[in-house]
Amino acid sequence: MTEYALQLNDVTKRFGAVTALESVSLSVKPNEVVGIIGENGAGKSTLLKVLAGIYQPDSGEIVIGGKKQKVNGPRHAGKLGIGVVHQEQSLVPSITVTENLNLGFEGNVGRWGLYRWSKLRAETRSFLSRVSSTVDPDARTDSLSFAERQMVEIAKSLKAVAGAPGSPVIVLDEPTSVLERDDIAVLQKEVEALREIGSVIFVSHRLDEVLDFCDRVYVMRGGQVVAERETEGVAEEELYRLMVGRDASGLHYMEDQQLEPQDEAVLQVTGLTSPGAFEGVNLTVHAGEVAAIVGTNASGREEVARAIFGLHGYTAGEIKIKGEVLKPGNPRTAISRGVGYVPAERKVEGIIAGMSIGQNLAMIFSRAIAFGPFQSPRRRRELSNAWIDRLHIRPADPNADIGALSGGNQQKVAFARWMVEPDVRVLILDHPTRGLDPGAQQDIYAHIREACESGVAVLVLGDTLQECIGLAHKVLVMRDGMVTALFDAPRTHKPTPLDLIKEMV
Amino acid sequence: MTRVIERTSAGQSAASAWKKKLSLRPVVPFGMLVILVAITAIIQPSFFTAASVNVLIEGSALIAILALGQMFVLLVGGIDLSSAAVGTFTAVLFAKVVEPLGPSSVVVVLVAATVIGGVNGWLVAYLQIPSFIVTLGSLAFWQAAALILSDATTLSVFGAGYDLVGWITGQKIGPFTPSVWLTVVLALVSWLMLRYTKLGQSLIAVGLNERAALLAGLQTRWMKILAFALSGLFSGFAGLTVVSGSFSAGPGQIDALLLPAIAAAIIGGCSLTGGIANPLNVLIGSLVLVVLRMVPTAIGLDARSQQIIYGVTVIAAVVATIDRSKIPILK
Repeated sequence: MTEYALQLNDVTKRFGAVTALESVSLSVKPNEVVGIIGENGAGKSTLLKVLAGIYQPDSGEIVIGGKKQKVNGPRHAGKLGIGVVHQEQSLVPSITVTENLNLGFEGNVGRWGLYRWSKLRAETRSFLSRVSSTVDPDARTDSLSFAERQMVEIAKSLKAVAGAPGSPVIVLDEPTSVLERDDIAVLQKEVEALREIGSVIFVSHRLDEVLDFCDRVYVMRGGQVVAERETEGVAEEELYRLMVGRDASGLHYMEDQQLEPQDEAVLQVTGLTSPGAFEGVNLTVHAGEVAAIVGTNASGREEVARAIFGLHGYTAGEIKIKGEVLKPGNPRTAISRGVGYVPAERKVEGIIAGMSIGQNLAMIFSRAIAFGPFQSPRRRRELSNAWIDRLHIRPADPNADIGALSGGNQQKVAFARWMVEPDVRVLILDHPTRGLDPGAQQDIYAHIREACESGVAVLVLGDTLQECIGLAHKVLVMRDGMVTALFDAPRTHKPTPLDLIKEMV
Repeated sequence: MTRVIERTSAGQSAASAWKKKLSLRPVVPFGMLVILVAITAIIQPSFFTAASVNVLIEGSALIAILALGQMFVLLVGGIDLSSAAVGTFTAVLFAKVVEPLGPSSVVVVLVAATVIGGVNGWLVAYLQIPSFIVTLGSLAFWQAAALILSDATTLSVFGAGYDLVGWITGQKIGPFTPSVWLTVVLALVSWLMLRYTKLGQSLIAVGLNERAALLAGLQTRWMKILAFALSGLFSGFAGLTVVSGSFSAGPGQIDALLLPAIAAAIIGGCSLTGGIANPLNVLIGSLVLVVLRMVPTAIGLDARSQQIIYGVTVIAAVVATIDRSKIPILK
């Protein structure tokens, strides 16, 4: 027997002239939780695809359970004991949990071509119980919450590695990026349960979670492993510096640029109620102020944000913009009154893939590029180039299809669309940095500060508690559709995440 | 190290920019036309005389007008099965009202056609009925309406009434009758609108991502209504053109052009899922279609097998033309 469940030795992978992985070596012991962190483009995804056998390394070797192996594909990886849970969920929504678990294993579902449902159900239940999940095997997958579906994914990966000879290795790719705080706690329990069975590789760009979950962490940058640290005693700042290659400087959220808000109340929400979603919500945001709402999945904060933009109805209460009542129910009305909204579902609601960066930028306030009744391509180009420069959008080509951009660059455009004319008075940001790497996050934060400086009232539903606290002048806590607490968060006296969590659950 | 990352990503984007510039997709319809013409010219060199090319282009005008109307509906992700039937109805309506109303009858029937299209659009946008169903019903409705209005006979149009539309297929301007020029003007105006106006960009945005368009403050429902109304208007133009060409209007007159017009729009590169349309390519698509219809006869194929050749080539043309990378699931 060997000491390691999995070892990579000098694995290199090139795509044409681009070296995606350069001599990557790492090792995972049985029953160990190992983190891999890195910015977007650091090579994490390529590494996972090599592990799953989707890519073949150009050189180097993969050693599983002491034996050098060539991994031919995800199924083969499973047989060898490596199960990968991908970031994008791969379950079919309209079928049951049991059916999903057996997708791809049709050969073993029964006898004489008939499904043996009772046996399959029992088996599914046992896999789920190994990650302490109580999801009903007969539940339709689309009736489950995101977190529950993630458990099913993990159970599925356990099934994939069930027949493997050695200690299995479960790879979790960015499992927390769309989870809320309480779900993350559940995930942490699952990871601890997995530790009993085998090893876990935990890929993330959220440093705090990596530190919480893992025993050891590898830092990747530019296709290389640049550092390996025991999580015991290592500081988040150090990891950040290693990951980004520059100093975190302790001002991640640019608190030093947090100015005093002006007196004018731009957004006033009073007694806003929508049965089943939120109740009696009061909130005021002044010019130049950032207000954050924190809360769990079912807290109703998303619905409140969407109600202000006219995407969610309400039965009582009112919304005032600069003292005048805003009629409900239509984004167009909200926009005409100076309300902007950057949605969380960027690809579905934010950008229009198939149109260029320039066309997307001018989609909302097209008079910026108007030339009589026509749109001037020259003005569109000028406008686009100006914003590409300001926000470092890549590729720096106004005509590039926005669908081909990275998430961070798409988000920058989704954000900039609202700023091309100085009309926006209220900006609602729903998870503005979801899925972005630290560099792109910084650009967005800088821009939020800039918007404040020009007197915009900003309402943020942040990705993490730290983000909400760091960005905001004040933090509202919502639970079960009601505002349960309000914390002032001036530059010098920020509340701690613990303060907020107490009110959230 | 960050320097290296920047260089590689810049390299990638440069490569993709190259690929984009090299993409032949926009000229595929034209290439298709050239190949078809070349094949025909080899088999039957005598086919392409100046006169026959002229006939071919004249013959494509009607399909092109319907295809351009169809294009707007395809652009917002719908389909208009009623366009040819509305064209027929317009023709019959014109024959009926031209005597009492005189010159204003042209405006009346065009407005009527536009409103009919708009009602289709309203049903789709506000009642959220799939356009396939709405226009299938509309197709039957306006076919029957034309039958009733004409009392199931062909109505002749002559005299001062005919003069109102006769010019469309009358005296040639340069090599072509005004119907061809009208078609070209409609295509050019559509092209300018889609490319250089907020309205056009909004139509495209609705077709590509209706949800995001709504959140960007666009009037997505009105855009759909507009697209169907334009299809109605273009059907109206087609109806008047047909009266001009045949001195008459009767039930079922251009109903058979529905599917060829849809095929022409698709061969011209329109995406069935919406968001992609180029009016100039739709013109070329219409030419391809007319060549496909005429060539089997020209090269002396057995009449019974002509439809087989036509059917196979339409599918082949679409295979060559449409960009499947943009369509995740084909239904």
